[in-house]
Amino acid sequence: MMRLSGRLRSSLIIGLQGIRARKLRTLLSMVSLFLGVLAVVVVQAGASIAERALMSDLELTNGIDGTRVLDMPPNPQAADIVVSTIAGRSDAVASMAASAIIGEPGVQPVNPGGSPMDENWGSSSICYPDGHCEEQGGPKGEAVELRLTALTGDIRAFRPFRLQSGRWLDFTTMPALAPRLVLNREAAKGFEEHHVPAEMRVGGAVHDVTPQFIGVVDDGDPQPRAYVRVDELANWLPPGGLADPNTGGEMRVMLAPSTPAERVLTAKLRGAGVETYLSTVDSRKERGKELSLMRLIFFSMAGLVLLIGVAGILNVGLATVGERVEEFALRRAVGTPRSLLAGIVLAETLLTGLLTAAAAIAASAAALKVVSTLLGDSQPLLHDVQFPWEAGVAGIIAGLVAGILGGFVPALRAAGIPIATVMRA
Amino acid sequence: MSEPLIELTGITKVLKGQSEPRTILDGVDLTVREGESVAVVGRSGSGKSTLLSVVGLFDRPDAGRYLLAGQDISRLRERRAAKLRSSHFGFVFQRFFLLKHLTAAQNVAMALVNGQGWPRRERRRRVLAALDQVGIAHLAKNRPAKMSGGEQQRVAIARALVRNPRVLLADEPTGALDTETGTLVIDALLGATENGCGLILVTHDRDHAARMGRILDLADGVLTERVPA
Repeated sequence: MMRLSGRLRSSLIIGLQGIRARKLRTLLSMVSLFLGVLAVVVVQAGASIAERALMSDLELTNGIDGTRVLDMPPNPQAADIVVSTIAGRSDAVASMAASAIIGEPGVQPVNPGGSPMDENWGSSSICYPDGHCEEQGGPKGEAVELRLTALTGDIRAFRPFRLQSGRWLDFTTMPALAPRLVLNREAAKGFEEHHVPAEMRVGGAVHDVTPQFIGVVDDGDPQPRAYVRVDELANWLPPGGLADPNTGGEMRVMLAPSTPAERVLTAKLRGAGVETYLSTVDSRKERGKELSLMRLIFFSMAGLVLLIGVAGILNVGLATVGERVEEFALRRAVGTPRSLLAGIVLAETLLTGLLTAAAAIAASAAALKVVSTLLGDSQPLLHDVQFPWEAGVAGIIAGLVAGILGGFVPALRAAGIPIATVMRA
Repeated sequence: MSEPLIELTGITKVLKGQSEPRTILDGVDLTVREGESVAVVGRSGSGKSTLLSVVGLFDRPDAGRYLLAGQDISRLRERRAAKLRSSHFGFVFQRFFLLKHLTAAQNVAMALVNGQGWPRRERRRRVLAALDQVGIAHLAKNRPAKMSGGEQQRVAIARALVRNPRVLLADEPTGALDTETGTLVIDALLGATENGCGLILVTHDRDHAARMGRILDLADGVLTERVPA
C-alpha cells in the first residue's frame, strides 16, 4: 500500500509539473474535452430536472411515493366511519367528491358534465339521494359544473398542490357557514371566463349554498375541481350524502406509511362490510422504464460528444509524448519503472479531465442559475431549479473516463520508449 | 585490491533488424573495481555506447556473463533492471537532458522520484549534497535556461550522483563543452571515484582519457587494454 501510494503521489506530482510546463497544450486538451463533459453534465442535469418535473406532476395527481391509498365504493355508512375515524388527523386525509354546479339556477352549465372548459362532454344531470336524476336542460347560462372534493384535513401532505393565488384551506379555524372553496386551475379558468352568481348546487344537498372562493391551486387535474372542508360542507350536506352512489360520489383515503389509522380504519370498514382496495403509490417504479429510456437516449448523444473530446485529448496526449521522448527515456534511465511512466501520463490526462469536468460543472451550474432567474417566472419547470448533484457526479465521472480513455494509449507509448533513445541522441 | 564491481565475460551484442546482422560487441571482457576509473575510446560506431548500454542495463547482451558486485545479472527482467539502474548506476550523457521547466534542484531530485517514497527532508538534503559535490549548490533554484553548458552538465552529474551510485557511466560528457569546462566536468566525475564509485568514461578526448586509471580501446567489437606508454 505504501509503495502504491508512493507511486501514485509521484505520478500526481510529476503529472502536475507536466501540466504546468505545458499550459497551452493542456488548455487545448481542455477545450476539446470541455464540450464533451459539458454535454454529459447538461444531459444529466436536464434529465434530472425533467424527471423531477415528471415526478412532481405525478405527485400532484397520484400522491407522493410511499403514500398508502385506500379506495372504496361510495357508501354513506363508510363515509361516516371514515370521517369519524380520521377527522383531525394529519397522517390520514379522506376525500369525498360529488358533482356541483356554481352559477345561475335552471340553466345548462357552460361545461356540461364537468368537462374541461374548452371541451364539451354533452349534457349533464344532477342526481338526488332518492335515485332520480334531472337532466340539466334549459338554455345555456352562466354556470360552471365542477367536481367538489370535501377534505377531512390538509391533503397537501400527500398531494403537494402548488398554490397559484389566494390561500389554501385552513383546517384549524371554526367551520364557516358559507363554505370556503379552493379552485383548481381549470375551474379558475371557467370562473375567469364566465361571471356567475355565487350560488352552488351540490348533488344531494337540500339547499343551494353560497360559496366563498379563497384560492387557486394547481392539482394536475384537467377537469374543473374545487376543494372544501368536509365540516363546512356538512352544514348543507352530511358526509353520507357526498358518498351516495346515486350522486356519483368518489371516496378515497390517503394515509402516511405505517400509520396506525390504517389498521383501525380498515378494521372498522371491514366490520361494516365495506369493500376496500389498498395500494401504495410508486410512480417512480411505474415510470421507471420510460425514464430509463429517456436517459439512455440522452446519454447516447452525450457519449458521442464526449468521444470527440476523448479523441482530442488522445491526439494532444500522443503529440505530447512524442515531444517528450527524451524525457521519458531519461526517466527510465534513472530507474523510473515503466508503470510509473505510464502513471505520469495518465495522471496528466486524468488531472486535465478533472479540471475540465470542474470547469464544465461550474459553467453548467452558472448557466442554470441564469436561465432559472431569467425564465423561471414564465417556465414553471425552470422556476427556482437547483443544479442536481447527479449532474455534478456525472461530469466528474465523464472527466475521469475521458482522462483514462484519452491517456491510455499515450501512457502505453510513454512506457514503451526505449532507454537507448538517450544514448543515440 | 578492491572487489570487482563489474565483471563482463565474453559479452556479445549483435545488431539485428538490418539486411545482415552486425556484431557490435564480440566477446568483450571487462572488469571495473570500486573507485576505479576506466576510459573507453574508439572510433565513432565502434560500439562504445552499446557497451555502456549493456553495462548500464539499458540493453541485454546476446551472449556472455555479467556479474554486478558478484551477482549474475546476465538475464534480468525489466522491473529488476530498473531497480538496479536506480540503486547502482548513475548516468551522464553528452547532452545534458535537463528538463527546462524544472529548477536545477528539481532536475536532480528527478532521480529520487520513482515511487520509493523518499521523505521530503531527506530528498532535499541529498539533492543539495549532490549539487554541492559538483560545486553548484548556489544554482539550486536556477532553471537550465539560466545556466551555462558546464553548469548544466554538472547538474546532470549531480543527478547521477544523488543516489550514491556504485558505478558512474559517462557517455562523452564533455562532447558539447569547451576544453576548460570539459576539464571541470572531468574533475567532478573523478571526484566521485574518491568515495569508492567506479567510473566508466566513453570519450574521444585523449586528454580526458589520459586522466583515467585505465584506457580501453574498442575496435570492431573487441575491447583491448591500452598499455601505458
